[in-house]
Amino acid sequence: MKVHKAPSKPEHMSKRPHCKDKWYKLNRVSNISDCSSLRSDVAKIEKYVSNVRKDKHNLKRLKKGAKAVCFRPFNPLALERTTTHPSLTNGGAGGKEQVSDSDESQDWCSLAKSVLHQYFSGKRTEGKDSSLSAEVSPGRMEEEAFFHCAERDHVHNRTVLVMQPGQTLCFRGKCLLSCLYGRVEVHGFTIEEGQQSYPLFSPSSHCPLTVTALGDSSNPSKTEKEGRLVVKAIVRKYLSTDTHKRLLSEVYLDSCIILLEPLDTPLTRFLTSFPDLNELFGLNSREIRDNSAILDTPLSGIGVIPLRKSSEGMFMSQSYREALNGLVNACAEELDGCPVIIVCGAKNVGKSTFNRHLINTLLNHTACVDYLDCDLGQTEFTPSGCLSLCTVREPLLGPPFTHQWTPEHMIFYGQTSCETDLDRYLESLKFLWRLYKRETPIIINTMGWVKDFGFQLLVDIIRLFSVSHVVQLSSGDKEICPQLTTDFLRSSHGWHTHPPAQSALVEDGCGGHSTQHSHTLFSVNSEFEGAGRQGEMRHQRSNELRDLALLGYFSQMQSPEPGPVRPLHCFTPYQVAHSAVAVRVTHCEVAPTHMLYAANASLVGLCCLNEKVSGRGGPVLLSQTPVCPCVGLGVLRGVDMIRGLYFLVTPVAPSVLRQVNCLLLGAVSLPNVLFTGQTGIVGDPPYVTMDYSFELSGAGKFRVFKGLARPGQMRNSK
Amino acid sequence: MKKKLTEKKGHVVAWIDKAEWDQVLEYLYSKECTLQKYALHRISAWKGRFSHNTPIAVESTADLVRCQILDRSGQLEADDLVLLYGTALVRFVNLITERQQGKIARPLRRLANKLRIPEWIVNLRHDITHRKLPTLKWCRKGCKFVLEWLQQEYWSRQLGSGLTENWDSQSEGEDGEEEQQRQEDQLIARQKEIESYKKARELLISFEKEQFQAFEGFLVENKPMSLLPAPSADMSWILAQIKLFALESSEILIDVLMEDGFIVPTIEQLESLGVNTSDNVDPTAPGLPRVVLRFWLPLLKDLNSQLFIQLLLEKLFVELQQPSEDDQKHRMFYVAGWISEVILCNANKSEYHYESKSQRKARQKDNIFINRIQLRWQQLLAACLNAPCVATPHLLQQILEYMDHPMPLDTQQKLLKLSSIYTQSADSGCDPSIQHSGQHSGVYTLESLHEKLKSRCPGHTLRQGTVSDQCKALPERTEDFQEHLSPDVLAERAAELRGSPWQVCTDKVEWRNYPLGKVPGQLKDPTCLMLDHFSTMTVFDQQVEMENATQHNAHAGVSMPHRITTDGLLWTHNDISKLKAGLQLF
Repeated sequence: MKVHKAPSKPEHMSKRPHCKDKWYKLNRVSNISDCSSLRSDVAKIEKYVSNVRKDKHNLKRLKKGAKAVCFRPFNPLALERTTTHPSLTNGGAGGKEQVSDSDESQDWCSLAKSVLHQYFSGKRTEGKDSSLSAEVSPGRMEEEAFFHCAERDHVHNRTVLVMQPGQTLCFRGKCLLSCLYGRVEVHGFTIEEGQQSYPLFSPSSHCPLTVTALGDSSNPSKTEKEGRLVVKAIVRKYLSTDTHKRLLSEVYLDSCIILLEPLDTPLTRFLTSFPDLNELFGLNSREIRDNSAILDTPLSGIGVIPLRKSSEGMFMSQSYREALNGLVNACAEELDGCPVIIVCGAKNVGKSTFNRHLINTLLNHTACVDYLDCDLGQTEFTPSGCLSLCTVREPLLGPPFTHQWTPEHMIFYGQTSCETDLDRYLESLKFLWRLYKRETPIIINTMGWVKDFGFQLLVDIIRLFSVSHVVQLSSGDKEICPQLTTDFLRSSHGWHTHPPAQSALVEDGCGGHSTQHSHTLFSVNSEFEGAGRQGEMRHQRSNELRDLALLGYFSQMQSPEPGPVRPLHCFTPYQVAHSAVAVRVTHCEVAPTHMLYAANASLVGLCCLNEKVSGRGGPVLLSQTPVCPCVGLGVLRGVDMIRGLYFLVTPVAPSVLRQVNCLLLGAVSLPNVLFTGQTGIVGDPPYVTMDYSFELSGAGKFRVFKGLARPGQMRNSK
Repeated sequence: MKKKLTEKKGHVVAWIDKAEWDQVLEYLYSKECTLQKYALHRISAWKGRFSHNTPIAVESTADLVRCQILDRSGQLEADDLVLLYGTALVRFVNLITERQQGKIARPLRRLANKLRIPEWIVNLRHDITHRKLPTLKWCRKGCKFVLEWLQQEYWSRQLGSGLTENWDSQSEGEDGEEEQQRQEDQLIARQKEIESYKKARELLISFEKEQFQAFEGFLVENKPMSLLPAPSADMSWILAQIKLFALESSEILIDVLMEDGFIVPTIEQLESLGVNTSDNVDPTAPGLPRVVLRFWLPLLKDLNSQLFIQLLLEKLFVELQQPSEDDQKHRMFYVAGWISEVILCNANKSEYHYESKSQRKARQKDNIFINRIQLRWQQLLAACLNAPCVATPHLLQQILEYMDHPMPLDTQQKLLKLSSIYTQSADSGCDPSIQHSGQHSGVYTLESLHEKLKSRCPGHTLRQGTVSDQCKALPERTEDFQEHLSPDVLAERAAELRGSPWQVCTDKVEWRNYPLGKVPGQLKDPTCLMLDHFSTMTVFDQQVEMENATQHNAHAGVSMPHRITTDGLLWTHNDISKLKAGLQLF
């Protein structure tokens, strides 16, 4: 059960320099003539370009994905179709919406190839295929390149950047990227001309994003002449005359042209309104130390700081690429039901980065991917402490706090690790699993606790959810947990599930269990620097990331129009009677009489119990923590004891809020800045003190001794 | 949990305010069981609020007080109590010494000693963990002592209530060896710094001497400056020395340069250089006398690396930040002059393309460096804005002009305008360069803003600009934060919530005045949040309910084959064998 081997020889590569030469020739000739004779065509083409830009596809299909020669015919039919693909897509947007069976398989086929292509183009970039790389000048864009290939329109404040195939732009900051010509790849997701703009977030808390220009845009329907015209029209549209000429000389038929615009959303406004976070979209301390930023480029006014080669972007190891490739193949091949992919590994080995990459790659060809988040500590789409099942339709071009979307189904667990109540954890996951419709591939993200009971839970999850593909990430040489092969699972014990007993097998002979589910295992060794260790720079510690996720979540309350950033306490709250909603603290025992004191000004999960809640006038307290759906989070802004009302602020829509009849409190608390940064209030804010001294003995919280190995290993991350 | 958390910004805690803290402290240490219990309940709520950040002293105190309450209740036997006390005491000793532990485990006794916990408490802990259990009497004694210790060392000192003077001395003695080591390191570092400072001073003074000698000759003979001789051998040697020094500690060198009498010349120095010091200098458009520039040119030309120039500029800007006293005007002028001079060297060459070769030569002669240096303009811009003074608009304009990638034009103009508004009050003589906007020569007032607004949007009728209106202007600004829902939105939300217990709060409340956790009419005392009556609800096994619910789901049928395998595994082996056993009976 090892990985699918990637084919070794890319045949199409010999094609590339050839077509490039042609373009060079044309370049010289057309430079003389095109100005005068072709002007009349420009208007037409401009129209074409704007049309292409306008139509947004819900279902994204790459136009040119099928260009490369197929190495591995999955399906003869698909291969045949591949050749006819361009005419179909060039007919217009209408063709793309028909999803027939063969269309589907053909897409998967080309998707698999596009991953392969990335793989090889990545290799080439590293200089292993030296004959090519020297000519195309791939690699990281540096000072020189920006001088020649980027132009900024000062009036509209946007920058047009020309990239040659294989060139990369690795950056810090945030921007809105649209591809004007050719196609580029960002974290596994391919953006090509005519598609909508995508927001990119590359904050200092995570590995910087890299934009890679992809080649093979040699669309046969587009002759060189036409291509030239299109390019001209595009560049003209976005730049003034004096600047676009210079840029045009850098454009070849296989170049990519991207447009970068400043990005200003409620999220970025809200985050950067906190003094501690105003450098969030800047450089991290190491990049400052190594002087790896290229300052003063035409991108700096946009909010993008390019990085030099010295600061490596995301590093994908061989096994990482192979796993990605294998999974894409699996999604193409799987005929009997959708693949169930689980990604596991210890903390900080790059699980969520791998997940994002995988989702993005799959989204190149399928409309949506399901995602079951079992990692309470570092959740992807929700604030931490929640378990969720989410249907992902949009690419993930930033860290989790930039896409706090409302998941389809969510359960409020209330803690950042599951060790205190393994049963409720597993029950919650089963609950979510039953809501999975099995119509799309699903990716299961797991927690980093892979020892002892954590490992047993992992075994349970693989068994219970009949996982078809296991991706096991590890770093370094030390093995933290055993390889999760099918054989291993036949004999290992989970927390709830157990392997079929020998006796049972003997008795039954060929009982139900001998046809036990088997899965494919991909072992990925993360080789990026710092793998297996928690980041130590600002905004990289897990509790800071949790705070960011919460701030990202509550930024949804800010109005979409630019305006002053409103602190949470300034919003008009919702109110509900004490007797209409039940309250429960999930993580510790609180004396019932002090319950509302504990709940005041706290983060609450807004949950829906099946039963009707009706107290006799007073508040209703739950006697145990239920496993029930949660529709979102809110802040219990205040409690009116006289009228018996809770006041709540939340981004949850009123139409959803109406179902809420239970408020759960957890160990995930509101970020401190929400308390300390309250402006405009009368009097001192409660729960904030200036005088607490940490110098006194016993003033701090528990500190777990690092040398101490204990079953609750997760505790270290708190 | 470093010191920085306590700085200014405040720290988020579980208690509402100090009054509540004091009350809990009082209750905990009262002899009254009901009060103590009340305090324990409150601490249970604190733990809920604090989640994992509950201070260990609070937690230990609560544990010990709980033991005392149970002891006094008289319902437990001695052996029960020893076990209870035992856990509380062991946890206290272990947790409180945890922070003292370094990388290598050290004996508890020593750690406790540093915290002024006597050895017998540590021994008591050892007895409980791995020797013969102590008697109840000893446990009570230990508990009493530890509670007193906690009161003294933590509770009564916390929240600013009596950080006694002997505290400092104790904290120093705490980490004896490490502290000493650190102090020694600091001392050595400081010593080194002083030495290099002295050296830098010496070098620069000898440079000045050499230059003065060279200049004096020329001044007397009244020859044109451009004919200065090539540097003497002595001078070359000094320059080489300085260059070498700058490689190691350019920062110190710049610090010394910045002192009076170096690049900021004293009056005497200026006089001996023949500069007229009584000149009516315009502080808003600083420039250096050529002589001063040329005096230092040989040195700066040698040091014109990118790093050095950047550092120099940043330090110069820091100098500008100093409050400008009257006697400092001279200094400010020169500091700003140097900044202006350095930035000018970075001017775009294209501006000079019309000049003749000789002109260019002459210009370049006075330049510290000839080729543009890649400066970190963003940082410079920030530094410039951080040091507002009369010269800021001038310098700002230069920076904006020469930046490698200029900002959008309107941003430039706004910045310039802002800086001119900000700095104008410093001097009555207003800079002509910032007058480009015309009308507002005086002080900016609200009226001028109103006027501006009026002229911008003629269609918009502003309320009459009466005095009372202007007084309101400020509060109005902050009122922006308050969310005002339009009647439409309110109606829409109300419609969506109709039929549910939820409502949009329609009370006329200025919510922006009320921080999180406070509502109008609420008393400060947290006792108002206590519940006297409530109902408890037991949720039926939600699991079963949900399972039934999914059975009704339409799509359940589609995935039936899958479900069966999954459900099959939901039974543990035990369940299956039980079932089998049941089947055999029939």
